[in-house]
Amino acid sequence: MKDEKRTNWVLTIVLILGTITVFFPLYMAFIIAFKQPSEMTNDVAGALAFPSRWSFDNFRQAMEVTDFWRSLGNSLLITVATIVLAIVIHSIAGYVIGRGMAQRKSFRLIYLYIVSGMFVPFSILMMPLVKQTAQMGLGNRLGVILLYVVFYMPMNVLLYTGYLKNIPIALEEAADIDGASTWTTFWKVIFPMMSPMHATVAILTALGTWNDVMTPLVIMSGTGINTLPLAQLNFQTQFGTNYNLAFASYILALIPILLFYIICQKQILNGVANGAVKG
Amino acid sequence: MSKRKIAKKVAAAFGLMLCVAGLTGCGQTSSDGKIEVELVSYKPEAVAAMEKIEARFNETHDDIHLTIDSPNEAMTILKTRFIRENYPDIVGIGGDINYSNFLDAGLFMDISDLDVTGDIKQAYADMDKELEFIPQDGVYALPYVANAAGVLYNKDMFEEHGWEIPETWSEFTALCEQIESEGIQPLYLGYKDTWTCLAPWNALAVGLTPSDTCAQVNMGNTTFTENYRETAEKTEALLQYAEPNPYAYGYNDACTAFARGESAMYTIGNYAIPQIKSVNPDINIDSFTFPANEAEEDNVLNSGIDLQFCVMKETKNKEAVYEVLRFLYEDETINIYLDDQGGIACKEGEFELPAELEGMRAYIEAGRMTDYQDHHYPSEMSVDAMIQTFLLDESDSAVDTFLTRFDTDWARYNRDLIRKVQDYQKEQG
Amino acid sequence: MKSKMTNREKTFWAVVIPVILLFFTFNTLPMLKGFLYSFTNYRGYGDYDYVGFRNYIDLFSDARVGKSYLFTFKYALAGTVLVNVLSLIMALGLNNHIRFKSALRGIYFVPNILGGLVIGYIFSFFFTYILPAVGNTFNIGWLQNSILASEKYAWIGVLIVGVWQAVAMNTIIYISGLQTVPEDVYEASSLDGATKWQEFWKVTLPLVVPFLTINLVLSTKNFLMVFDQIMSLTKGGPAQSTESISYLIYRNGMDGGQFGFQSANAVIFFFVIVAMSIFQMTVMNKKEEQL
Repeated sequence: MKDEKRTNWVLTIVLILGTITVFFPLYMAFIIAFKQPSEMTNDVAGALAFPSRWSFDNFRQAMEVTDFWRSLGNSLLITVATIVLAIVIHSIAGYVIGRGMAQRKSFRLIYLYIVSGMFVPFSILMMPLVKQTAQMGLGNRLGVILLYVVFYMPMNVLLYTGYLKNIPIALEEAADIDGASTWTTFWKVIFPMMSPMHATVAILTALGTWNDVMTPLVIMSGTGINTLPLAQLNFQTQFGTNYNLAFASYILALIPILLFYIICQKQILNGVANGAVKG
Repeated sequence: MSKRKIAKKVAAAFGLMLCVAGLTGCGQTSSDGKIEVELVSYKPEAVAAMEKIEARFNETHDDIHLTIDSPNEAMTILKTRFIRENYPDIVGIGGDINYSNFLDAGLFMDISDLDVTGDIKQAYADMDKELEFIPQDGVYALPYVANAAGVLYNKDMFEEHGWEIPETWSEFTALCEQIESEGIQPLYLGYKDTWTCLAPWNALAVGLTPSDTCAQVNMGNTTFTENYRETAEKTEALLQYAEPNPYAYGYNDACTAFARGESAMYTIGNYAIPQIKSVNPDINIDSFTFPANEAEEDNVLNSGIDLQFCVMKETKNKEAVYEVLRFLYEDETINIYLDDQGGIACKEGEFELPAELEGMRAYIEAGRMTDYQDHHYPSEMSVDAMIQTFLLDESDSAVDTFLTRFDTDWARYNRDLIRKVQDYQKEQG
Repeated sequence: MKSKMTNREKTFWAVVIPVILLFFTFNTLPMLKGFLYSFTNYRGYGDYDYVGFRNYIDLFSDARVGKSYLFTFKYALAGTVLVNVLSLIMALGLNNHIRFKSALRGIYFVPNILGGLVIGYIFSFFFTYILPAVGNTFNIGWLQNSILASEKYAWIGVLIVGVWQAVAMNTIIYISGLQTVPEDVYEASSLDGATKWQEFWKVTLPLVVPFLTINLVLSTKNFLMVFDQIMSLTKGGPAQSTESISYLIYRNGMDGGQFGFQSANAVIFFFVIVAMSIFQMTVMNKKEEQL
């Protein structure tokens, strides 16, 4: 039986070669970002060759034009705040709805109401939301964060209630008998036990919000506040032909999430898989 | 252990968030005691000139602080702001269908009591009048700078080869063929950006159809099929002189190609000149009116209001806004704009015509000008994309398909407008 | 004990009510408003009239809207099928006895974490300049023109980018599905003398069907809502051949003064998505029961 566990080298090599499909576009973007406009040629060899000089000029210029640090700050603020709020609010909501469902029909209905929100496309909400957030004074970063918390609520509540089924109710009953309030029980017992799900929720929410273009585009347009992807959109319309500068800017926009991925790769892959299995 | 990890991560996240929030914080501090006037201009390419004007205004005014914003995708941003009921004080927009719509929606203020409105050149005041769906009393826009579209050409290249400026359509096609025979690309088109399809279309249409075609159609007196066939055919004919597959390249690509001498001519307006010169500052450009007809005297220059200022009804500082408008309409200020962007001043007086428009001077001075047809097309009808679709259609019946679609789509997208116009006519008896 | 439970219930309601309010305010309420607007000729600003069902009637006669539905469905169907076939193959490969397993899994997931907009811009350059250059160098006729400039094939360009990004996510999900298949099932089947092919159809596939459901629903929904790639690759062109429903709603609703009309479009789109998801889940549930 041991024989079967032998490494399949042919497959390994095929899969390694296959990573070219992932690396090639990134490689191309990378070398273009370093080149000067005069180095751009129309033949294959020239397009794929290394730049004649590795200079960070394009990057420096791109950072200036897109106000990189500020956009990065906005993206970070929005994503991190969304994650924190999502973990806190959605886990409580998931817990309450999940436990309540077991006893009361009304909670079952609430569960269905919120989870069915998954089917609502942003397009239908977009136009009324633009008006509504403005009237409420939320046409800003706070508004975008709140909207994300609402948009991710269906998926996250589904995940949390699903996960809750694995946590025996006996634990809470024991705490109840000790005289702990429902709040204390939740924070001391349930919240920590949900930590694998917190990681999943954080990762899925982060991937969605970090790269999202449409929500900040319509909610914050005209306020002068950019997120990282929005800065690229504005940049493209303005400096579209200077491909070298543009690609430097794209690379800059990709670096933060790539770094994050390299550091937390294992958690991210587990988190995603976890979400699928439990969902 | 995992509990602690999570707790740590959450704490770190909070910390990070606070740091970032502190760093980026709200940067909007109102300057003390001054009246704030906000102007949003829809021309991001003119940002440098606008910044200069803004600085000069603020240097000379102690009581008013002017902010000029020139965002990208400005029309989308402006409309989104209108949807949000978050209005600036002044908007700098084109004299096009958007102006008509905003005016019709009652967003603008009557500025006929502003003294400088008396200095507007009559031709441009008339153009704005024609843009009113329902004739209005009063003045709602201060036309600032007009542009002109036709054909831009590489002057050095023309002199080198001894090519003549064409005055009729057949001279134009003959010229294109000659240029081609000498191994040079006559035209370079950036049709990936659909709006550029409208540039030659408009320039041809002004010479080939009456200026009030759209209004006549709305009144039910004629159809586009009757008026646009020749324009469509000639727009299509340009393709044979352009680079293969112009749908792969955008406006910026085309400007770059023309700037680098990859084509002898470019059928676009003078608004493209700054972009072209940003690629090649040394290029020597001149222009000529599109020779749409077989007789020179039938040709008309395509010129329209590129930038005009309108005051939002919601503004709370009418006096300050008027002060800004007076400043903007000073000859010196206009010249700052013209030096940077080129164009034709809409104010009466002696303004220098940019060298690139020398070839159009006769038309401009004689007032042989007509507004862009597309200034009357509703934007949601996307006539630009319809033209692109038509140009891509290689079947024999392409022109007929296109014209039929033009008429049916027009009736649908303008339904409310047509009803309004006809109601108005009935009211007037 | 009884009063304890009421206390608990009180806490429950104290949590649930604000959550519902929040959800209602930013999800249900705008949806209802959108529904209302769909019966008006609102431009987004200024005044408006109620026009009854006119927008809905227009929707069905509007060639551009029809075209956008056709494109979106064609795109979603092709995308879903391609993504699921490719990611199942990838998952089988990555779950096999290979070296550098976790590194390879990590690399193949990279496209998914990158933003659709920026990736679109990178690929746009690739399609416009690199591929035609390859075509010219090796004299391959059909490559010489940018695929994004072709009315017929531009959607394939958008599809390639969409699939490139989506495969990663579904692969991970399939891998976790495959890992739930116990090793001894394979051992049993190999003892029965089943070929690899039979093994796949008889053993592997039935066990990953629940994951197939998730993946189908997820990828169909994502492909139906395509927006970023359109924005960065084609802006709906050429000749309006790649306008997705979301893109059209954004373009004409926000920018083109069709606030009311596009609201009606969004309402229909909503029902389409709900119907598709329910359909897929029912069909797959039946399949699961049969197996």
